[in-house]
Amino acid sequence: MTDDSSLIEFITSQRWYGSKTREVGSATVVDRAQLRDDLEVQLVEVRFETGTHETYQVLADGRGFDALRDDANARALLDLMRAGETLPGSEGAVEFASLGSVSEPQVARLIDGEQSNSSVVFDDALILKVFRRVEAGINPELELLRFLTEAGFPNIAELAGWYAYVGGQMEATLGIMQRFVPDAEDGWERALAAIAGGDEAFLDTLRRLGEVTGRMHSALGSDPADPSFCAEQTSTESLGLLTATVDEEIERVFLSLPDNVPDLDPIRGRGEEVRERLRLLTNVGGTGRVIRVHGDFHLGQTLWDGNDWVILDFEGEPARSLPERRRKRSPLRDVAGMLGSFGYAASAAEVLRDTPAPDDWEERARDEFLEGYRATVDRSLVPSGAAMDKLLKVFELEKAVYELRYELNNRPDWVRIPVLGLARMLEEEVPV
Amino acid sequence: MSEAGSWFERQPLWFKTAVFYEVHLRAFFDGNDDGSGDFRGLTDKLDYLQWLGVDCVWLLPFYPSPLRDGGYDIADFYDINPDYGTVDDFRHFVDQAHQRGIRVIADLVMNHTSADHPWFQASRHDPAGEYGDFYVWGDDDTRWDEARVIFVDTEPSNWTWDPERGQYYWHRFFSHQPDLNYDNPHVQRNMLDVLRFWLDLGLDGFRLDAVPYLYERDGTNGENLPETHEFLKRVRTEVDANYQDRVLLAEANQWPGDVVAYFGDGDECHMAFHFPVMPRMFMAMRREDALPMIEILEQTPAIPENAQWGLFLRNHDELTLEMVTDEERDYMYAEYAKDPRMKLNLGIRRRLAPLLDNGRDEIQLMHAILFSLPGSPVLYYGDEVGMGDNIFLGDRDGVRTPMQWTGDRNGGFSRADFQQLYLPPLMDPVYGFQAVNVEAQLRQPNSLLRWLHRLIALRKDHPVFGLGTYEALRPENPRIFAHVRTYEDDTVLCVHNVARSAQAVELDLSRWEGFIPEEMFGRTRFPRIGELPYLLTLAPRGFFWFQLRKETGE
Repeated sequence: MTDDSSLIEFITSQRWYGSKTREVGSATVVDRAQLRDDLEVQLVEVRFETGTHETYQVLADGRGFDALRDDANARALLDLMRAGETLPGSEGAVEFASLGSVSEPQVARLIDGEQSNSSVVFDDALILKVFRRVEAGINPELELLRFLTEAGFPNIAELAGWYAYVGGQMEATLGIMQRFVPDAEDGWERALAAIAGGDEAFLDTLRRLGEVTGRMHSALGSDPADPSFCAEQTSTESLGLLTATVDEEIERVFLSLPDNVPDLDPIRGRGEEVRERLRLLTNVGGTGRVIRVHGDFHLGQTLWDGNDWVILDFEGEPARSLPERRRKRSPLRDVAGMLGSFGYAASAAEVLRDTPAPDDWEERARDEFLEGYRATVDRSLVPSGAAMDKLLKVFELEKAVYELRYELNNRPDWVRIPVLGLARMLEEEVPV
Repeated sequence: MSEAGSWFERQPLWFKTAVFYEVHLRAFFDGNDDGSGDFRGLTDKLDYLQWLGVDCVWLLPFYPSPLRDGGYDIADFYDINPDYGTVDDFRHFVDQAHQRGIRVIADLVMNHTSADHPWFQASRHDPAGEYGDFYVWGDDDTRWDEARVIFVDTEPSNWTWDPERGQYYWHRFFSHQPDLNYDNPHVQRNMLDVLRFWLDLGLDGFRLDAVPYLYERDGTNGENLPETHEFLKRVRTEVDANYQDRVLLAEANQWPGDVVAYFGDGDECHMAFHFPVMPRMFMAMRREDALPMIEILEQTPAIPENAQWGLFLRNHDELTLEMVTDEERDYMYAEYAKDPRMKLNLGIRRRLAPLLDNGRDEIQLMHAILFSLPGSPVLYYGDEVGMGDNIFLGDRDGVRTPMQWTGDRNGGFSRADFQQLYLPPLMDPVYGFQAVNVEAQLRQPNSLLRWLHRLIALRKDHPVFGLGTYEALRPENPRIFAHVRTYEDDTVLCVHNVARSAQAVELDLSRWEGFIPEEMFGRTRFPRIGELPYLLTLAPRGFFWFQLRKETGE
């Protein structure tokens, strides 16, 4: 039996632990499977004081709960995938699988500081992502990567394997492995560097990113025979549902704004204004069609490999439930996420690098991206003209509100970025 | 990994914290433009149900049926009524629901079949054959005369003469619904096969219709007999042995003291409806007196840990007044059924909103009380937007009109011609689809629908409402219905004012001295609880839910 308090302490102090604002009542190992002599995968149920719970994946060895730090343990996971092993737990089992030929790993390197997962890079050839928060059902990342890999979509890091828990407690994806893109820099870092260095060429690559995004969306809605990857007409109430969802999100965030954060001042007490803005944006308009989307699309989810963009991380927003993340949505929701992150980059350049972005940087970034996107996306997926602009704005608003909540919970120092974004949105004109 | 059932964490008690939503398939959404709702239509509306926060959809009977009792007259247990689609459509619906985290249970009538069922036809024609003993036949129509007639408006007796067989057959409901003979082991085996068939297709459980009447015995009223409980226990054993996280929900319109028997020792039905609490909620509203609710909850025995009450305000049937005294029934008729057309059998065939004169405060208060009581709430389709009824339609059709999705043609329910619709949608100026519909209410932040959505979300954040203890507070002011629910470290105080006027109340909260009540919707902190009685003032038909928080805080 594990000591409850040390387990709680370990989990709640991890970066990937998602409920930092909630009070934990207990932590229990609900199933465990021995992977090697001294390596165990554990499903840990963390219960909150109100009696709800979340489940986390912990890899434990003789030294504690941080077994992934030992590269021998990380290599063991990869070996199990290569061997396609199934290992019994107390109730369920852990199944490992690989796609194509995967060579034996030599060097494993843990990447620190990720938001909701832990990743290990093998020989600069493969990267294993260990999901920490475990939910019943197939993880969207496995689902989308598998589909895009099989469809031959070039701008991803192809799926190479995965492991999952089955039976007993639930069926859930525990980790996925994909091609590692070496010597690549993520879009976020490139954007900050480009702003700081006055690099104009970067904006051209954003047009390319728009093209890649358009192609990705066309692919995700391209299989009429597969219920998961066919584009669907929206029902009559879909715009209403979207409005209600975003409106309630706004209401909820504004209800719980902490009093003691001065960075919130520009938007404090302006919740009703934000909601009014939403109503103006959704009073009329179309929604186009819905498809499976990336779900958490921003510059940080892209890599520039020297020639082209690679899209990463199809998990969806970590704070949302799995059924929510698997929902088909308008592809414009991804577009809005990316546009929002241009604004984020412009603000962050000033905050982090002390270099204010040129006044027109964000607008030019948006224009380039959208031009590329419009050139390649299947136009039947998105509404046309002003309806597209309005729907985009709705999603941008949703994103900013989501970011605000996320930063409040996870990175208080960053709160002012979504705050500035929201305040600016309130000053803009409504597209007609 | 995409087979049904793989989208949920194992949670044998999921039903205790679930919000149920009762759907009349025919009335919900027409997916093939033929004027009648169907599985394809319902599948199209799953995003809406997911948004609303529904955990489990309860489907009214969808089996082939001559539809002389809304489908409760089943003519084939193994198929889907062609109006609703195919078994494949059903399977697809269940899978899509599961992928959205929504479970599905369905009505199953164990007590009887339609007279059209091949078993009954065989039983009539060939008394010596395989099905000869599948129903309850007798030469004498006076036997078991202690058993009451339930549908008093249409049925003179529980026996009906069949000229073909030359015998009377027994039926506790309509004469076109002969009762199955559970003394026949073949009947028992056949019904267990039926359960397994649907569970194997991914169904998460059953609402067992009319469950108290399975057996008949001399000298009894034929309700709640030990043999009935024994058979239900056999069903439960069968389900537990072969399936995970399924639920049996008993419809036993009986007094709580009798209904608890349907839970057994946690080895019979998982859930049962609490019928008597519902009319008393309506009574409390009219009398502006919380006592009827407090009393009935006091008379409700404890139930096993692994069991749960199903609570509802309205459903597809008449608002049943079987579980009230004659005097109370007269009162209810006088207050809620002023037009004789509103009465049906021992009940009132109206929807929630018209019963409450479309009063928004009243509708919200009733939902708040429902959601705060120990049990799982069961919503009835359309009540979330405040749909009305049509008392000029026959039987219970008046509360089964098409779901009102939009202000467009046919209320957005169907693209068929108006004449083709199974029933006309409501078009009156107050409750008609142009005034009351989902689309409009989604866009209005203060609509009933949006409010209810928040209420559901709040309830789901606090398992205490489904799992917690219940303790009534008895303040001096009789117009206040107040209680405390506790589960693990979560303590919730619910205070409701059933009066039409503002009220003040002093509550003895001394046990929670030092706690801070935090209002749960707006997260407003109220003054700390001290030694003295805690004073609250409530708006007319207003309510407060507080989380009692330990920390001293700011």
